[in-house]
Amino acid sequence: MIHYHPDNNMLLEYASGSLSWAQSLAVSAHIHFCPQCAAQMKMLNNVGGNLLSASAPVASVEREDSAIFGDLMQRIEARENEEHEEPAVPAKAVRERTSRDPAFAAVPPVVKKLLAQNPVLKWRRLSKGLKEARLKTGQNELEVSFHRIAPGSKVAEHDHRGKEITLVLYGSFSDGEGVYSTGDFLVREPGQVHRPTATQDQECLCLSVVEAPVALTGLLGRMMNPFLSLKPQ
Amino acid sequence: MAVNYINRGSAATVQASEKTRDDEWSNLLVRVGRERDRASFEQLFSHFAPLIRGFQFSRGGQSSAPEAADELIQEVMFRVWTKAPTFNPGKASASTWVFTIMRNCRIDALRRNSRQPVTDESLSVEDIWDDSQDEQPLVFLQQSRNQSAIAQGLQSLPPEQSHVIEKAYVEGKSHSEISEELGLPLGTVKSRVRLALKKLQSTLVR
Repeated sequence: MIHYHPDNNMLLEYASGSLSWAQSLAVSAHIHFCPQCAAQMKMLNNVGGNLLSASAPVASVEREDSAIFGDLMQRIEARENEEHEEPAVPAKAVRERTSRDPAFAAVPPVVKKLLAQNPVLKWRRLSKGLKEARLKTGQNELEVSFHRIAPGSKVAEHDHRGKEITLVLYGSFSDGEGVYSTGDFLVREPGQVHRPTATQDQECLCLSVVEAPVALTGLLGRMMNPFLSLKPQ
Repeated sequence: MAVNYINRGSAATVQASEKTRDDEWSNLLVRVGRERDRASFEQLFSHFAPLIRGFQFSRGGQSSAPEAADELIQEVMFRVWTKAPTFNPGKASASTWVFTIMRNCRIDALRRNSRQPVTDESLSVEDIWDDSQDEQPLVFLQQSRNQSAIAQGLQSLPPEQSHVIEKAYVEGKSHSEISEELGLPLGTVKSRVRLALKKLQSTLVR
């Protein structure tokens, strides 16, 4: 049972296309687990559809619509001829090292795609019981990574430099404020301190999206990374 | 009394005819998907091209250049043709489906023009804005009722609420961009959006 969701404001920004790429990735993965948010998305898209059909029609200015349609049909025909001539190249088989890992077995399709682009995850230990693998997503402002917490491990208390979204992909963890299980979507504002603990009998895998401090790169940036600001226990 | 009665009657007629028209676009879309029917596609094009242009022109700024709008129309309708076989009228009306395609085209255009150009290995917009993750399709009738319920709901929103909803969808602005532009606290923009959605939610058939 999912208890934590992106709020309606975030869902609307996702539906209207203004939410950042990486945060949209996390919302998309949550929706895969959550019928309630999927239903809400249906309504939000519906709002967009209504606004489109209610928009005041504007006749063509530069070129006649029939000319644009002509170009479009040429493009479609060219594309269809191409498809007939060239047999589709089978997609390169991606060796997924994570394929036999139970934690990754039931991740949402968008996370599977992300894994296909990052076939070899480089895990590094952040503290006792906590590992992180950063992902390439083609953008810098937001950092996307997987976090794994070993069964029963307590992560050192830490805060975040930027807004952080955590989506539980497998297992569960808890902190002072609640228990979070598969599909739960958490937003932590900068400065909020917490100390996650994984469930005793199972490890926990999360996808996290953190607003990276824009100006800080290189060595200093790495030192300022949220999970490196761990306080000694 | 008599005047009222007539007004109510004609409003119902208008609503019914709009609903029938939306069904008509859905039927055309199904035909394009199944039979790759070009005549149906041309009818869809003539209907949606001016709407997409109108939507894009309300955005103002650079994106309202006629060439940009024509380019968007061509890209949206290209994807409509390509994706038509996956259109399911039980999941979305034709206009909602075209809206989601247009939104994805805009996201793609924004990414292409951003300072960090898209690399080949990154996810595509359709991986993240994935319409196959939609819940189970509804009975067609229910889907179509919801569509007109939301249309009515949108019309009955207080102006300050419909204003932020339009800014978000039509102009593609985030809450913080809207708050900056209107000189309103972010919290006010957020609560207007939430109130509007609550109201729209209450109109839906469950």
